Amino acid sequence: MRKMVFPGDFLADSKMSVRGVYVEDGKSYASQVGLYDSDTGTFIPLEGPYEPQEGDLIIGVVSEVKPNGYRVQTGLPSETFISNKDIRESLSMGDIVVAKVRDVDEVGEITLIDATVLKGGSISQISPVKVPRVIGKKGSMLAQIKATTGSNIVIGKNGWIWIKGGDEYLATKAILKIESEAHTSGLTDKIADFLKKGGRE
Amino acid sequence: MSEEEYGSGKREDVKLIIDGKRVDGRALDEMRPLKIEAGLLHKAAGSAYVEWGDNKVIAAVYGPRECLPRHDANPYRAKLSVRYLMSPFASKEEHGRSGPNRRSIELSMVLREALENVVLLEHYPNAMIDVFIEVLQASGGTRCASLVAASVALANAGIPMKDLPVAVASGKIENQICLDVGKEEDNFGQADVPIALAPRNKDILLLQMDGLLSKEELFRALDYAEKMAPVIRDAETSALEKAYARAGEE
Repeated sequence: MRKMVFPGDFLADSKMSVRGVYVEDGKSYASQVGLYDSDTGTFIPLEGPYEPQEGDLIIGVVSEVKPNGYRVQTGLPSETFISNKDIRESLSMGDIVVAKVRDVDEVGEITLIDATVLKGGSISQISPVKVPRVIGKKGSMLAQIKATTGSNIVIGKNGWIWIKGGDEYLATKAILKIESEAHTSGLTDKIADFLKKGGRE
Repeated sequence: MSEEEYGSGKREDVKLIIDGKRVDGRALDEMRPLKIEAGLLHKAAGSAYVEWGDNKVIAAVYGPRECLPRHDANPYRAKLSVRYLMSPFASKEEHGRSGPNRRSIELSMVLREALENVVLLEHYPNAMIDVFIEVLQASGGTRCASLVAASVALANAGIPMKDLPVAVASGKIENQICLDVGKEEDNFGQADVPIALAPRNKDILLLQMDGLLSKEELFRALDYAEKMAPVIRDAETSALEKAYARAGEE
């Protein structure tokens, strides 16, 4: 049975080490609003800030050019850094980049590698916990939006989404609709219908 | 507020309990109606609006974001900053200009200290979490209403917390302990005891006492609040649930 849980709600007698759960006296309790499935023991937070993990692909905007690299804004409390060693092209302020998180240190500061500049386009922001919904199972949702709108879309785990070309307006609208209805079922069909009607309900 | 402004003379002249009922018709252990709404501000990470009797409070949460000023950043945990403000038009009394004053600075501090005990701040080192609380209309017990609003707003923002804190003020009127003191009872009663609890393990997050109580009376006041804690928590969770009207139907 899947049910909605709130901070402080008892989840299990065992220790769970997933996001949105804390352990006290060997028992697990929810620390965020989320959906808990007691059969499979999975917890999906419904809301929450981005918590960077090694290997995440994120989108950011260059905010400062330094002698040894670039500072990038990614919506995290601390600014992130790309070293000159890890990037071939030179960036300038305001460039949109997509990069991989190399490591996260103990105070939450991250360094990025494999940065690629995204030329043109625009950024939309959604809640980071809803990103898996926008991508869909094996990328089905994203593929569907790309196919219908003809837009080029790159999704960052930090909830920043870069969209360029095609019907940008419709693509953005569809993504925002997924965000607001992320917790409902049958979303892929609903979005297919939404896209077919050109964004009208 | 001074008593002569009421024109009613001494404290003892005001009848607060008539035929076993309080001035607004409540029983001694009855709470005023509580209405909560979550997630109504779009630009905030989380928000809540609370109507508790005639109190109207709105709370918004921003962050975790970059800690400003930078020298306040703590590499071990996030800084929680709480700003409680009462609007100049919040009640019949004069509240002066709308900026922070002695009272609101103190209340911001006690609310912050209450929330710091439940929010898992160590998840966000060097960051800052802002909680803004605006009292739009005041009628006794605004710090409790504010704490309830802040707690729902924090949960709505997805800030990890050990529990959803609840708060209610017990009090003493005409030598009897009562729950959720209203404005008149606060002004003319004998004591006002705001209590904030973490409902799961009954941890006391905030306990203030304005007035005098015996030990037994204080325990009775705490008992009233503890009994009411699950009721307030239910109101908080159903408000959060309503923000996701169709959640969990999969």
